[in-house]
Amino acid sequence: MTVLLETRRVTKIFGGLIAVNKVDIVVPEGKIASIIGPNGAGKTTLFNCISGLYKPEFGEVIFNGKPIHGMITDKIAALGISRTYQNIRLFKSMTAVENIMVGFEPRIKQGWFSAMLKTPAYRNEEKHVINEASKLLKYVGLQGFGDQLATNLPYGAQRRLEIARALGNSPKLLLLDEPTAGMNPQETDEMKDFIRLVRGELGITIILIEHDMRVVMDISDQISVLDYGQKIAEGTPKEIQSNPRVIEAYLGPGAAALSEKYRREKVQ
Amino acid sequence: MSTSSFKKSANSGLTFAIIVIFLALIGFTITGPSLVQKIWGDTLSAGTIPSYLALVVFLGFIGIWNGWKAAGQTGESPLHLKSAIFAGLVAGLVAGLIVMLYAFIVGSISARGIDLRVYLSLLSPESIVYFVFGKSTLIGGLIHLGLSIASAILGAFLAVSADRSGERISKWKNLVNNWTKNSWLGSLKKNVYLNYVLVGVVLLLLVLMPRTWGSYWNYIMGTVGIYILLGIGLNIIVGFSGQLVLGYVAFFAIGAYSFALITAPEPHHVELNFWLALLVAIIASAISGVLIGLPIMRLRGDYLAIVTLGFGEIIRILIKSDWLRGITLGPRGVRNIAGPTLFGKSFSSDVDFMYLIILAVILSIFLARRWQESHVGRAWLAISQDETVAQATGVDTYKYKLLALAIGAAFAGLGGALFASRNQFTGPEDHALMVSINVLCLVIVGGMGSIPGVILGAFTLKGLPEILRELENYRLLVFGALLVVMMIIRPEGLWPARRPNLEVKPPPKIEEKPIDAVSQGGDV
Repeated sequence: MTVLLETRRVTKIFGGLIAVNKVDIVVPEGKIASIIGPNGAGKTTLFNCISGLYKPEFGEVIFNGKPIHGMITDKIAALGISRTYQNIRLFKSMTAVENIMVGFEPRIKQGWFSAMLKTPAYRNEEKHVINEASKLLKYVGLQGFGDQLATNLPYGAQRRLEIARALGNSPKLLLLDEPTAGMNPQETDEMKDFIRLVRGELGITIILIEHDMRVVMDISDQISVLDYGQKIAEGTPKEIQSNPRVIEAYLGPGAAALSEKYRREKVQ
Repeated sequence: MSTSSFKKSANSGLTFAIIVIFLALIGFTITGPSLVQKIWGDTLSAGTIPSYLALVVFLGFIGIWNGWKAAGQTGESPLHLKSAIFAGLVAGLVAGLIVMLYAFIVGSISARGIDLRVYLSLLSPESIVYFVFGKSTLIGGLIHLGLSIASAILGAFLAVSADRSGERISKWKNLVNNWTKNSWLGSLKKNVYLNYVLVGVVLLLLVLMPRTWGSYWNYIMGTVGIYILLGIGLNIIVGFSGQLVLGYVAFFAIGAYSFALITAPEPHHVELNFWLALLVAIIASAISGVLIGLPIMRLRGDYLAIVTLGFGEIIRILIKSDWLRGITLGPRGVRNIAGPTLFGKSFSSDVDFMYLIILAVILSIFLARRWQESHVGRAWLAISQDETVAQATGVDTYKYKLLALAIGAAFAGLGGALFASRNQFTGPEDHALMVSINVLCLVIVGGMGSIPGVILGAFTLKGLPEILRELENYRLLVFGALLVVMMIIRPEGLWPARRPNLEVKPPPKIEEKPIDAVSQGGDV
């Protein structure tokens, strides 16, 4: 089992607020790892530290054996880390296919000069990118919507399109920030199956931020729990479910004892 | 008729009265009618007063518009003739009374021998006399009142009849549409070769026109062409890559001056060949674009706009300064800039220059389109929409932003060199802030990120004012009004950019067993 991503004591500070406090996370290759925690726990901030949108004040992010903290975001993306966003951030006035094609950018070899001359190599590459993007579009179930502007797509389709764009640069690691937010139960189930499919078929390691516990407990191989920027628990879904600190973080102090009592009563 | 719709009509009348008074105060009540007369075919020499009939027609149009608006504001659908006419009457009456009051006040002030030009430079005594139809202020005001009421009622009546005939018009439209679709015109539309034919016709016109339409038109169209060049360049920076650069004139100036200084006999005695100098000018501008770009790469939006605005002014002031007088000749400007030569022959008549500009424009359109349609254009568009996400998706934003600046600057350099060469002169005042603003305006009016939009914008904003010389004094006013109107009714520009259809779709399958297809479907 090789480790794909490791964060070592990553710390991010905003003014006086320690948003992420010495967080260690180890994600093995080919696994689905979830990060959960109450609102404001620092989950998205941790994502931003991994994908390079923020530079952590202390600590290291090691991807594939190489330190990547402090690198420019597009270089990190080119190494094979893709992500989606909590509030959908597509390129709104571009079509769906074009959105995905932007995702291919790190893999495009031809420069602006060959684009000007339309060299055969450039044409071939462009055709290849269009074909691959159309395939990805079909893969996420949006076939036929390719020429619609991204902003005109329905909500669920926009979420899928964001994932397709992220898959464009054939990433090794995919960071999904609340992929099922705002979805109904059926759409949530579809998304759950789709995430499994991405891991199974494409072999992409996935880190997931998610509030829907059914999704998290169903598909995660490992779960890390953040609260006030600190990692308070880590383990398999089963371990997390019965961890008193996690329950207290979600439901408040004393909740763990109550739930223990409730469970005993139920058993009796 | 309810009091609320009465109020609305009165409001409409008030608005139009203010419009008329405003136009009168800025002297447009003379310019407008003389334009009307120009449309009739009478050419007026500068300074002559147009006929009163033209004034009646001019004010009549405003009055009809007033009545039309007022009738529309009654909120009935379909419009009721009686209430519409009444609304027009109210609006016309209110507008007429206020204009009458204005005529009375201004007329009596003027009659006392006070020259209002001290306060409003275009409000000459002649224009006041003209405004009251050459009669006394009272009679002139009464004429205004009558005219306002009559035209507003006419406008209301027209609004009602347009409303009633709306159905008939749509029927006619359908008929014409069907006819064009089914007849040879429709089949011609689908013909793939039509585009080639159209391009051929346009090219033929571009070859023939400069020879036939004389030097005046060549001058105007040459200016429009240079502005198209600038517009396409700025469009790459602002429209494609989304960086709001307000000091675009700096690149224009660098192109013009680097061309001028290496071809003119003074001050440096270099006198390089035209084509070589053109190349140097383009490269110099492109390099300056990169150099400016490097320190401002991290700036976005407003900050970028302010910094580049300052940069444009810095270049102009540097050129003008005593400090660089030895290099740039300071405020005097550079004279005797070389024209183009071809195989040792001079090539600089206005017709030749027109061809040169047309070639440059075609080349720039070609190049801009190539980039727009390639992955470079996609990357630019992504950056303009959401720079953070574009970078996190793997787009090398620094590279592409610098590339856009360099290419845009190169186009400006080409435009500047051609401009300097055509005028055989360039001075610091050719490169004032107004050039940047003009170019930005034409990009916005035409449609951000759209090349046909830029061309259309250049013709509207640079071509029309040249043709309508009477509007000289009001150019800025018209610019401002046009921008405001555009932002309200068509914020995406005259000819907005469209996205291409790229998705590769499988050919539609003919399903033999539709029932099976349904039961097996849904596994997407």
